[in-house]
Amino acid sequence: MLRPVHIALFEVRRYIVDRGDLAFSLALPMALFALMYGVFGGDETFNGTANVVDLDGGPAAQEFVSRLESVDGLQVRLRSLDEADRALARTSILTAIVIPPGFSDALAAGEPVKLTVKQRGTGGDEGQIVSSIALSVAQRIAAEVQARRWARTTMEGSAIPQPEIDQAAQAAVTQADADPAVDVAVVVEGESGRADGGQFVDRLLPGILVMFLMFAVTLSSQVIVDERRLGTLERLLTTRLTLNQLFAGKFLAGVARAMLQAVVLLALAYAVLRVGGPSSFFQALAFALLVAAAVGAIGLVIGAAARTREQATWAAVFFTMFMTIFGGTFFDPSETKALDVLSHVTLNRYAIDALEGITSGGKSFADYGVQAGIMAGVAVAALTVARWAFRRTVK
Amino acid sequence: MNEEFLAAKELRKAFNGNVAVDVVSFSIMRKEIFGLLGPNGAGKTTTIRMMATVLPPDGGDVMVDGHSVLRHAGEVRKLIGVCPQELALYPELTALENLVFFGQMAGLGGKQAKEAAGENLLLVGLQDRAKDAVAKFSGGMKRRVNLAISLMSRPALLFLDEPTVGIDPQSRNHIFETVQRLRGEGMTVLYTTHYMEEADRLCDRLAIMDHGQLIAVGTPRELKAQIGQPEKVTLEEVFLSLTGRRLRD
Repeated sequence: MLRPVHIALFEVRRYIVDRGDLAFSLALPMALFALMYGVFGGDETFNGTANVVDLDGGPAAQEFVSRLESVDGLQVRLRSLDEADRALARTSILTAIVIPPGFSDALAAGEPVKLTVKQRGTGGDEGQIVSSIALSVAQRIAAEVQARRWARTTMEGSAIPQPEIDQAAQAAVTQADADPAVDVAVVVEGESGRADGGQFVDRLLPGILVMFLMFAVTLSSQVIVDERRLGTLERLLTTRLTLNQLFAGKFLAGVARAMLQAVVLLALAYAVLRVGGPSSFFQALAFALLVAAAVGAIGLVIGAAARTREQATWAAVFFTMFMTIFGGTFFDPSETKALDVLSHVTLNRYAIDALEGITSGGKSFADYGVQAGIMAGVAVAALTVARWAFRRTVK
Repeated sequence: MNEEFLAAKELRKAFNGNVAVDVVSFSIMRKEIFGLLGPNGAGKTTTIRMMATVLPPDGGDVMVDGHSVLRHAGEVRKLIGVCPQELALYPELTALENLVFFGQMAGLGGKQAKEAAGENLLLVGLQDRAKDAVAKFSGGMKRRVNLAISLMSRPALLFLDEPTVGIDPQSRNHIFETVQRLRGEGMTVLYTTHYMEEADRLCDRLAIMDHGQLIAVGTPRELKAQIGQPEKVTLEEVFLSLTGRRLRD
């Protein structure tokens, strides 16, 4: 009964002493994560440009622009509507905030106002942050206008001294911030991007993790051809080891290797990029275990069918690349319908969706029952096929 | 010594229509060192693979201590150890790790496997290199590790398929002495080699195979007597006489 565990531990030992495997599967993703940290996480000060089109020109619009200019790290560039549209078309900018005509008057009258954000794709991280700042600034201005209106209408002409009126107005601003009477909305025009509005880095991190878990397909696919090449497969078959035990051992070894990667990469993401918390860390690991089982079993299918190391490697690389590219590791697969459909035949799409939700979306493992079921189903189906093919190849 | 321990009965095996083993029958007695000789491609390794339960025969059967390789392969595996012709080792790991792993696969517990590994490394003279990676070993040392692994389960029957290929005389002599010591401890050995003087020195009985068939069986003296006076004839002359001088590969 313990032989599969002995095989798995032995394989992990071989994996650890093989510097090539370690570099490929652990050092490379760590380097990639470090690079991403430099790009996305290393600089905590935001620096960006707000492209603003002022079609209103009123006092509230001017105040809005002035407030944006006072935000640390944010530069404001005023553009005409045509200029902004051309820049968006050339993709030289990804977002433009349009202050519509009548913005100031509507605020002064206590009516709902809208800022329009024109964008390309998802608007990029910078665009999403700028949009968020713009909304916040507009809400603040609306609250102040609301408070001043209230103060003017209720206290003007009374004997109340001006400092007390100012004090009451300030209190009203605070109150209006908490419970705004004027509705300020941001209307997004252009391609809507991802529905949940998450940041690119939130999806890229699970994407990288799943991509490297996918590389475990290559390692798993080679275990049988490697044993055959070394001559150890035949030797093992003359011991008391049964085929089932050998198969189970190789499967456990693949899962163990992939989980070693998952633990290192998720710990790195948690510690350095501050993605998720302790609870999400363990839930993500639990989901990664299912992904590891699925990819480990697929690797065994390839390994059982391949006659040479080269066949196994190329089949595994093709599989991994297809899954990685079309599963949405480097772009949002929902941007076009064809890609969206194609991505749903990849394991990565389901795995990335779930891991993104767990690590960054405030969701739990339980929210991804369908994705977990798909991983488990693929693992069971692939194991069944691999076991059948394994018997034919080994003998 | 007269008790039959292994009996091969009308063994047959073909690959894609090419007959590799053609109705081969012989028996090996308990505690005997039995040599299986033949030119390259004669069918020696295929015969060993069938006896070692790796390859199912197309016809015939092999009984090992009363157990059929076809029907009771699991029981047969408890009795045998196989030292394959090609090195079958994990080069990146240490000699000790290799031995312990195969010991565990042979049914030993962790502690037992470590003890047996220590004993076997001592037996093949590698106790001082136990914790060195096999990749750093010379050819002769790797051959000795290969042999040590096959002894991990202390098998009753040991298959040695050309265990001395490509090694220096010292390592070869060490392997000879090890095999003789094992026989002295009660082990039965099937030994294949291309070195005729090895077979002459080591084996109690010999079988010569060619073109998948068994063409002669007997003690070295009996085989030599087939072509002349045993004292004046070498086993190599017998071998060439029976198998011809034509190159085989």
